[in-house]
Amino acid sequence: MTKMNKTLVIAKREYIAAVRTKGFIITMLLLPIFMGGGFIVMALTQDKVDLTDKRIAVIDQSGLVGQHLVESAEMRNQNFVLDSATGEKKAPAYYIELIELDEADPERQKLELSDRVRSKEITSFLTVGPDILHPVPGDEASRAAYYSEQSLMDEARSWIGYVLNDRLRQIRVEELGLDATVVSDLFSTINLERMGLSRVDSRTGGIKDARKSNEFEAIVVPYVLLFLMFISIMMSAATLLNAVMEEKSERIAEVLLGSVSPTQFMMGKVLGGLAVSLTTTIIYILGGILMMNRFEMADLIPYSILPWFFIYMLLHIIMVGSAFAGLGAICNDSKDAQAIQFPAMLPLILPMFMVMPVIQNPLGGLATWASLFPPFTPMLMLIRQATQVTIPVWQLVVGLVGVVLFTILSVWIGGRLFRANIIIHGRRPRFGVLLRQVFR
Amino acid sequence: MSDIIEIQGVTKTFDHHVAVDDLALKVPERSIYGFIGPNGSGKTTTIRMIMNILYPDRGSIRIFGREQSGSQIARIGYLPEERGLYRKMRLRELIQFHAELKGVSNTGKEADYWLERFDLAPWAKKKLETLSKGMSQKVQFIVTIIDKPELVILDEPFSGLDPVNAELIREVILDLRKTGSTVIFSTHDMTVAEKMCDFIFMIYRGKKVLDGTLQSIQEQFGQDTLRVSVAEGAVDFSGIDGIDRVHDFGRLQEVRLKPGTDPQQVLAGLITRNRLTRFEMASPSLEDIFIRIAKPQRNDQNE
Repeated sequence: MTKMNKTLVIAKREYIAAVRTKGFIITMLLLPIFMGGGFIVMALTQDKVDLTDKRIAVIDQSGLVGQHLVESAEMRNQNFVLDSATGEKKAPAYYIELIELDEADPERQKLELSDRVRSKEITSFLTVGPDILHPVPGDEASRAAYYSEQSLMDEARSWIGYVLNDRLRQIRVEELGLDATVVSDLFSTINLERMGLSRVDSRTGGIKDARKSNEFEAIVVPYVLLFLMFISIMMSAATLLNAVMEEKSERIAEVLLGSVSPTQFMMGKVLGGLAVSLTTTIIYILGGILMMNRFEMADLIPYSILPWFFIYMLLHIIMVGSAFAGLGAICNDSKDAQAIQFPAMLPLILPMFMVMPVIQNPLGGLATWASLFPPFTPMLMLIRQATQVTIPVWQLVVGLVGVVLFTILSVWIGGRLFRANIIIHGRRPRFGVLLRQVFR
Repeated sequence: MSDIIEIQGVTKTFDHHVAVDDLALKVPERSIYGFIGPNGSGKTTTIRMIMNILYPDRGSIRIFGREQSGSQIARIGYLPEERGLYRKMRLRELIQFHAELKGVSNTGKEADYWLERFDLAPWAKKKLETLSKGMSQKVQFIVTIIDKPELVILDEPFSGLDPVNAELIREVILDLRKTGSTVIFSTHDMTVAEKMCDFIFMIYRGKKVLDGTLQSIQEQFGQDTLRVSVAEGAVDFSGIDGIDRVHDFGRLQEVRLKPGTDPQQVLAGLITRNRLTRFEMASPSLEDIFIRIAKPQRNDQNE
């Protein structure tokens, strides 16, 4: 029997042993639920509006905006709170209560109002300074402030801010003696649409119009690809540390070494893991493509990245798998394995912490250099490529060559350690001994 | 008969411990060769070097007439001393997996044959972890010899087996030899070695101390052994000169004589003290020879 065949027999057994377990099937099913779960919760809560009515106390020292706020709130309550077609409540009503400033002790008044907020009597309160119409930077008298338990996320605050500013502008225009109808579009703001870049359509050869860019493309696509890569490594290569340790401690290794060489044994295990990862990722990616076609998001599928995804995954699994198999062979029991596990996992986990900065600035220094560091390249270069920016070609080439070389190095070192330690029991060898085993 | 294994000047050192020291050994084709020696004396290291799992520091190992390189292990069936199997696999699948690794063509048929022969058929679909220790011992043996290898190396094949199963394995070993295989096995059971082996090799503290047929080994020690029995109780040896050591088996006492002692004088002394039912002059047993070699330094070598 040829060498390759024996490797494949080992790989086949590994594959079947992994795929058949309940754990594998459960992970396959649960993973999309967990992964999708986050996005679904986000999507659901975005539409969920708080429908409880808001009572807002207003201390208007300027005397310019209080009454306007009361009227605007009433108008809003009439027109926007109930759905005109169904009569269903779709937004909270706002009730404005005007309050005179307590000149004697304004701080005490604020405390009393705050207590009313805390006792849920009112939702929030607003103070408007006397010089609000023509504000002077740094002047206390030209400030307006909104007080509530959660002022940052409060929708009422943005509504009041808008109404208040609109009223002030109106007064300023009147002061200038301009006709309000003439200047109606003076303050209209233009929303900048976020677009990607135009590109040539590979099918028609014509120029394809730029797509509207959105969060989905900018964050979700790179993130999902990265997550898939991470999971595929964790499900296959990263498990080799313990698997090899067990085969060593249960003395399975020496029995197998009666039939195969250590290299065949190790590479069989790595290839088996690779097959497991290919199975899972192909299922997920096909599933993802089907889903996106169904929801008419087909043009968002990053087909151009998929070949890179598989190239990086292949190399990454061989790189990590060989290293972990070598390390597993050093361990005598699960205690040894645990001691080694965390440092060994670091190169896999660190890139996960860099995801956000890299997605936000794919051409920045951190993104560029971290993605050229071979152990990180498969993950970080992949997400850079999955973003909308164009990565310089030299970086792709250097990155890929680096990964290939590093993978070869990892197989070599892993193989050496594996060979030297797989049947040697007793104390875990010291670092110096390991170095000798590698470079002898 | 040509030699299937030729070991010359092989030395293997671990850290500062010399496990095998300048070893030379030739194993003729179609023989059964027994490896004996106390624990930690170098048997397993020697076997692992033959298997190319460990590499000698010095010396050469030739197998099937060629320098050992690893490519020949496909022709060897190897049962390690400490052995494990994938516990989560089902018995028949596991046997097929090992058979496939060894290039057996019809793995299913072979698996069924051996399961039947070793009375394991009812467990074929059970997971390994549900089998008793004796059963997994048999499975270990099956996966070692399933491809009927030219050379079979068994490190303690009989340990932990009851007599019925030991007999089964003995039969298969003899069958293998009949069909042309060479068998090497290590054992602590000297009676098995005496009965089964064409040649016996003893290694002690890394050095070869015995090598040859049982007869040639026994001849080295001469007829210095008496086997004596009395009708009732133990033989009374008090006051008899020339007795080196008495090995009491209960119903039989084995006596080693000091060099130059005349057995006739011992007999004369014994008759005055005992009612003998048996008096026999013999060569020392392999067990006795083993103990003679290994005992003097027992205290500092037992590991």
